[in-house]
Amino acid sequence: MEYLATVTILIAIYVILAASYNLVIGYGGLATVAHPIFFAIGAYVTGLLAIHAGLPPIVCVALGAVAAMVASVLLAASSLRVSGDYLLIASLGFQLGLLQLIRNLEITGGPGGLSNIPSTIVGAARTPTFLAITIGLAVVSVLGIRAIVRGPYGRAITAMRDEELAFTALGRNAMSMKIVIFAVGCGVAGMAGGVYAFYFQYVSPEQFEVLQSAQILTMVVLGGMATAYGPVVGAVLLLAIPQAITFLDLPQNVMAPLQGIIFTVLVLLFLFLRPTGIMGDSDNKPRARASEAA
Amino acid sequence: MYEPVILAQIFWTGVATSAPHVLMTLGFALTLKVTGLWNFAQAGFMAIAFYTMFFALNGLDLPIFVAVLLAIGTTIAASLATEVYGLQVLRERQSGNLMFFIFTLILSQFIMYVITLIFGTEPQTLFKSILSPVQIVGGVAVSDWDLLGVGLMIGGMAALWLFMAFTKEGQFLTAVSDNAKLAELYGISARRSYRVTAVIASLFIVASMYLVGSHGGVVPNSPLELILGAVLGTLLGGIGRVFAAAAASIFLALIQSFSILVLASRWQNLLLYGFLFIAIVVFPRGVRLPKFRFALAGR
Amino acid sequence: MTQVLRTEDLNKRFGGIVVSDNVNITIDRGEILGLIGPNGAGKTSLFNLISGVLRPDSGSIYLNGQAVNASPLYKRARMGIARTWQNMLLFRTMTVIENLLIAPREYAGESILRVTFGLGSVRSAERQARERALGILDRMGLADTADSMVTDLPFGQQKLIGLARTLMNDGPLLLLDEPMAGVEGAAYETMQAVVRQEAASGRAVCVVEHNVSFIRDLCSRAVFMANGRILQDGTVEELIASKALTELYFGV
Repeated sequence: MEYLATVTILIAIYVILAASYNLVIGYGGLATVAHPIFFAIGAYVTGLLAIHAGLPPIVCVALGAVAAMVASVLLAASSLRVSGDYLLIASLGFQLGLLQLIRNLEITGGPGGLSNIPSTIVGAARTPTFLAITIGLAVVSVLGIRAIVRGPYGRAITAMRDEELAFTALGRNAMSMKIVIFAVGCGVAGMAGGVYAFYFQYVSPEQFEVLQSAQILTMVVLGGMATAYGPVVGAVLLLAIPQAITFLDLPQNVMAPLQGIIFTVLVLLFLFLRPTGIMGDSDNKPRARASEAA
Repeated sequence: MYEPVILAQIFWTGVATSAPHVLMTLGFALTLKVTGLWNFAQAGFMAIAFYTMFFALNGLDLPIFVAVLLAIGTTIAASLATEVYGLQVLRERQSGNLMFFIFTLILSQFIMYVITLIFGTEPQTLFKSILSPVQIVGGVAVSDWDLLGVGLMIGGMAALWLFMAFTKEGQFLTAVSDNAKLAELYGISARRSYRVTAVIASLFIVASMYLVGSHGGVVPNSPLELILGAVLGTLLGGIGRVFAAAAASIFLALIQSFSILVLASRWQNLLLYGFLFIAIVVFPRGVRLPKFRFALAGR
Repeated sequence: MTQVLRTEDLNKRFGGIVVSDNVNITIDRGEILGLIGPNGAGKTSLFNLISGVLRPDSGSIYLNGQAVNASPLYKRARMGIARTWQNMLLFRTMTVIENLLIAPREYAGESILRVTFGLGSVRSAERQARERALGILDRMGLADTADSMVTDLPFGQQKLIGLARTLMNDGPLLLLDEPMAGVEGAAYETMQAVVRQEAASGRAVCVVEHNVSFIRDLCSRAVFMANGRILQDGTVEELIASKALTELYFGV
């Protein structure tokens, strides 16, 4: 039961991550890959504040989200100046560089990670409370993002993706819109990081590597880019299926790469046969074509 | 501490250890220049190259020469297949950068997972021993591996330069990299140039992985780290400037080498990323040193 | 002030090619200025310079007396420079009405803060914009295409939609880049009528066109460009009468 609850909490957190990543790459059309680092910034800032500053948990998480947002604005502002494509490489470099820094600083616990993040709730109520919080946040994130992209704002984002030059010539500041979308997406990821830090009470650099980038990417692509519920489907699949496979009772050194193979093959198949993902329209209806415009 | 002999040793070792990175960077930067793509699939090809050689040498007991040829074969096959059945399809669909990135990254991951399944995660080396005979030249220790590396590096750069400057195919590559559509109007096939580039990159990859694999342990995930070095060199050299990227790689290796004198070794890697930050924020178009511009058939 | 647009010694070159050579033009309120000349004369480049897609190497641009040189593309649109594109650049995955709703100069729904905290103002702004958009479509006889995907419409209608979208910007200056290219029949008549209406309501209009009868019917004044330079500036009749220009244009 406890195990199931933990898996669900993890799924909920990844739903938040996938949904916010989808906002950035699916709706915003911004090619980036560094989402896990903003997750990490949120987690580490929250953890450090909890350990050293003794602030109330909600404040720690909020500050973690703000830290992630500020970092994302700096990254976007400097790399979008060059070109939209540059953000991809810049974000990769940012992620790896920051991870390297984290690995070498003592205050972050180095490669061993940051442990002993204080408990917020103790006793039997802990897991159910966290379950409620994470699921609640996941619902809010998904519906919130959906609300944003349905209205005029979503229309503006789509237009920007379709024809950025015409969009700009109609008086829209595309650059600031991209930065805002990026900041919101990364801020939400930071918030997820804060909650993650409090539940698991341990964060370490290898939880935020390129592997995780690929995982979140897989969730969004499989689920369907630029769809409201695609990220949910993607997160559930990517986290639940491996759990199911464990019942096959294969040795660990076969299981891990096997899971990897299954998912990479799925992504590749979807990429070529059904780029709109599971939740996208299969006949490539215009709304779903957002994934190609990306 | 700063005796000339020690400095010379640090210099030589730095240059020698940069060799595999330079070779990789040449392939990566050339691909970026001609196809406009940051081809992360090359990480997967690196894994294929190494493990083919590894299997040929240790599983099939084939001589080195044959092992290398086999690796060249499998790497070129993988590279061309990716180009023809993957990248070209995405191009025809007019997919955006993100799609290309997803494809190349996930493809690399797929390859690395398959290799993990077959070979496991233990570090492997091509040969039983990673030590190679050393001679002392003027007080500096020079190993056979060093010589091979530097030789391949210089030979590779020279060959590439000659190819780009003096052969028709090479000039086509330059034309396509400048303006693919215009080149098509003149009857140059961009697709063919992409394939030629894939083959050239494969050769550099095999050479690079031979050096890496004979000098230290390799795990299936090693290529991802190695390719980041190539990304860094390419960024610092400037997109489209292949030889500048190679020079940047050597420069970075030397910086890392010499930084031993002042920094603890655990900060070495961080130095690299520090450079990356600076490169991205201050020199997004690459570092331009007017004197050091290597001519690449006009660019 | 009746002079809406004034350019002063605009210069721009790309490597060896001069696209703008000391270009000086003025356009007044209610005037329709024709910009004609052979291909590659620098007409679209001039539009790009005025609207802010390109930065001039030297020279100034004044909109209603205010220098706009320092303003980027999106700011100039907000100041009231509206333009169409040779390739239309319609938003392909959206419907006609959606294309138009992107276009008014100020729009509440596009600030994420307003959307989160000012839902009421967003709703009323949306309503106003929608009314305006339908009004424009009505003027063009295209009101029933409002919910069609732009990519489903025939070419001539798409061009009209491009113009309609530009008209959502109610600013003082309207730049039309070859609006007639590929357009015939009813769409042609509609476009002429609409452009006349815009000028009559006080906008300054500049039209780049190869269709000489369009220019003759609509424009009071015209400017002939070749090789980035303005060769002659006068009434359409004068330009057409000039043998030198005809040779340049038609190569005869």
